[in-house]
Amino acid sequence: MLETLLYIIAYPPLWQILIVGFLGSLLIAMIAIWFERKTAARVQRRIGPYWASPKLGGFLNIIADMIRYVLQQVIIPASVDKTAFILAPVAALIITLLPIVFIPLSPIETFWPIPSMDYSLLVALALTTVPPLLLIVAGWASNNKFAVIGSLRESYIITAYELIAVISILSVSASTSTFNLVSIVEYQAPLKWFIVLNPVAFLAAFLAILMSTSAFPFEIPESEHEVVAGPFTEYSGILYALNMGGAYIRRFIYSILLAIVFLGGWAPYTPPLDSGPLMGIIVPSIIVIIKASIIVLAMSFLRAVYGRYRLDQALEYAWKLFLPLALLGLGWAIIVGFTI
Amino acid sequence: MKESPTSTSDVTIKELETRGIQVRKIEKEVYEVFIGPQHPGSGHMRIIVRLDGDIIAEADPDIGYVHRTMEKLSEVREWLKPIPLLERMTIIDACNITVPYVNALEKLMDKAPPPRASYLRVLLCEINRVASHLYGFGIFGVFLGHSTAYMWAFGDREVFVELAEILTGARLTHTYPIPGGVRRDMPQDFPEMARRAVKYMRRRLIEYQRIFLDNPVIVKRLEGVGVISKSLAAELGIVGPNVRGSGIKYDVRLIEPYEVYDELEFEIPVYEEGDALARTWVRVEEIKQSLNIIEQAVDWLERHKGELILSKDDYDKLPKLHKEIYEKTGRVKLLPVHASMKIPAGKAVARGEAGRGEIFYYVESDGGTIPYRVRVVTPSARNAIVFKYIVPGHKLMDLPAIYGSIDYFPPESDR
Repeated sequence: MLETLLYIIAYPPLWQILIVGFLGSLLIAMIAIWFERKTAARVQRRIGPYWASPKLGGFLNIIADMIRYVLQQVIIPASVDKTAFILAPVAALIITLLPIVFIPLSPIETFWPIPSMDYSLLVALALTTVPPLLLIVAGWASNNKFAVIGSLRESYIITAYELIAVISILSVSASTSTFNLVSIVEYQAPLKWFIVLNPVAFLAAFLAILMSTSAFPFEIPESEHEVVAGPFTEYSGILYALNMGGAYIRRFIYSILLAIVFLGGWAPYTPPLDSGPLMGIIVPSIIVIIKASIIVLAMSFLRAVYGRYRLDQALEYAWKLFLPLALLGLGWAIIVGFTI
Repeated sequence: MKESPTSTSDVTIKELETRGIQVRKIEKEVYEVFIGPQHPGSGHMRIIVRLDGDIIAEADPDIGYVHRTMEKLSEVREWLKPIPLLERMTIIDACNITVPYVNALEKLMDKAPPPRASYLRVLLCEINRVASHLYGFGIFGVFLGHSTAYMWAFGDREVFVELAEILTGARLTHTYPIPGGVRRDMPQDFPEMARRAVKYMRRRLIEYQRIFLDNPVIVKRLEGVGVISKSLAAELGIVGPNVRGSGIKYDVRLIEPYEVYDELEFEIPVYEEGDALARTWVRVEEIKQSLNIIEQAVDWLERHKGELILSKDDYDKLPKLHKEIYEKTGRVKLLPVHASMKIPAGKAVARGEAGRGEIFYYVESDGGTIPYRVRVVTPSARNAIVFKYIVPGHKLMDLPAIYGSIDYFPPESDR
């Protein structure tokens, strides 16, 4: 009975897309928001969220916020392009979640949502580059000056970080000679994690993801004191929540990719090929999620320390510093590929 | 024959450039953005920004959203009542704002406060200055996206607001100075508390420097941004920390000492760079100087216990019951006659150094129970013009950096 239930849960589309992809990222986004508020509060000598559930450190406050967003009236201004205005955040969220389909959470073929993982790294990486474009659509459809400026900034930032992210994450293929994420994880299995083998590429990828999800110190498109909320200025209610939560979910998906590529995936534990759903998929998934969460929380902490760079400074750093860093990571990866 | 419009504008541009004003000719279509009055980065004002790409081609400060006719209201109130009214201009800097008004009244009445009252006024003025600078510092921090600086500054401002409350009984609207003295004496345990607050704040300023002023992101954002040259600062007549950040040593406490500032030892911090970072440093250094002054004032007050805080003739006029209250609680209970007092006809001016710069009062009396005219020139009103001249040529993202570094306070400017 339990075995059957586990098999139903571990059915790849259900487990990978709904449970890990949707619920997992929702939960991690909530934890990240809570952690961000709590650590920022600790640094700033405040308490942070508290009253909704003092024993949980105010965690229920985040759930209360979500309920409020869901029940809030969605105001659609008369001057917006209605179709694009509503579709952009929804489509962005769906496409944000899509890469999870191509990321294996277990070495066992039965538990993959797709039949072959041969080009999974390429496809997953390609899919992560789509949602920012929908952010631009959202800003443009809003027909608001601040939203347009915010979208414009986003488009500048995309040109800067996309290349860095792609080069630095793909550099592992130069070492492993494969785009298959399962092979990449297996390559790292005896604790040869790429964060140790190639820290430069990891740093470049980390910085690119900071820029891509507008985390501090690169929180530029939504910079409150110049452009109110950037592309989301006209949004309210659930649509705003989708937009805002979208960034956290993107960060989580990226982090899962980083955990697989650089942190050895399900590393300390390797499921035997004949194991059942519990040990075959659920435990490795949890290991990957824990690793990804550490990356997400590290990114969240930066809010308490840094202000934001100016747009041109961020671009300058991206092109003059981070891109050479990513290329250095690629070179390093080739050397690693030949020597180890 | 008339000159064509283009050539006239060329001439004006050339003229402006010779005066050191940054001018940028707009050739393409400009994108007009209204920053404020309902905008998280504006305060109670509006800056109309015309953008050429990401560069600000023109910035037009549009003030007056919180105009409350303070000057006119002062003309229909008895002499004492403008004090609680006027301090609402800059509620975070109440004593600095009202002391020059009281000084002007004292000049008209030919009455001098006793030294203890003067020291108490200076003490509260400096407490206000620290609190006011911390307020500006916090707003500045959050404008740059640095929420920690914001929370720290507002949290530590609370220390000085509490100190003011212990001294005067009110957190912000103290209404502390009155013609001829102050309304309350210092509580017994106040010096100890003040010293602890000073020690605490000195320690915290080092931490501020670590997380905010020396933070590479913040330095990158502020260095060379919003430069006010020495000549431009002099020409525009800006005041306060902004002019001192541009290398001009102009401080009313120095050039025309009022109260007991000439008996105290302090420095006027001056920075030459004139950029946003220099202005921030001026404020931080000023906080340090204010802390020194607080210590000196508290020391003096401790040495001179039991002296009057009201002028001798005012005190003599008090009935026996009020004298008893004064002896017991250190609180001056004013007589109704104070509210309807008449002030000899005449004109007086007085000025003081408020947190944001020089505040100037012109008070005219026709011998009646209400002022004939009260004219206030506030520091923010004199600083507002800066936006028009230094913002053009910067990126849109520099606007909050410049706005925050000017520490512009709209209610003070609009009166």
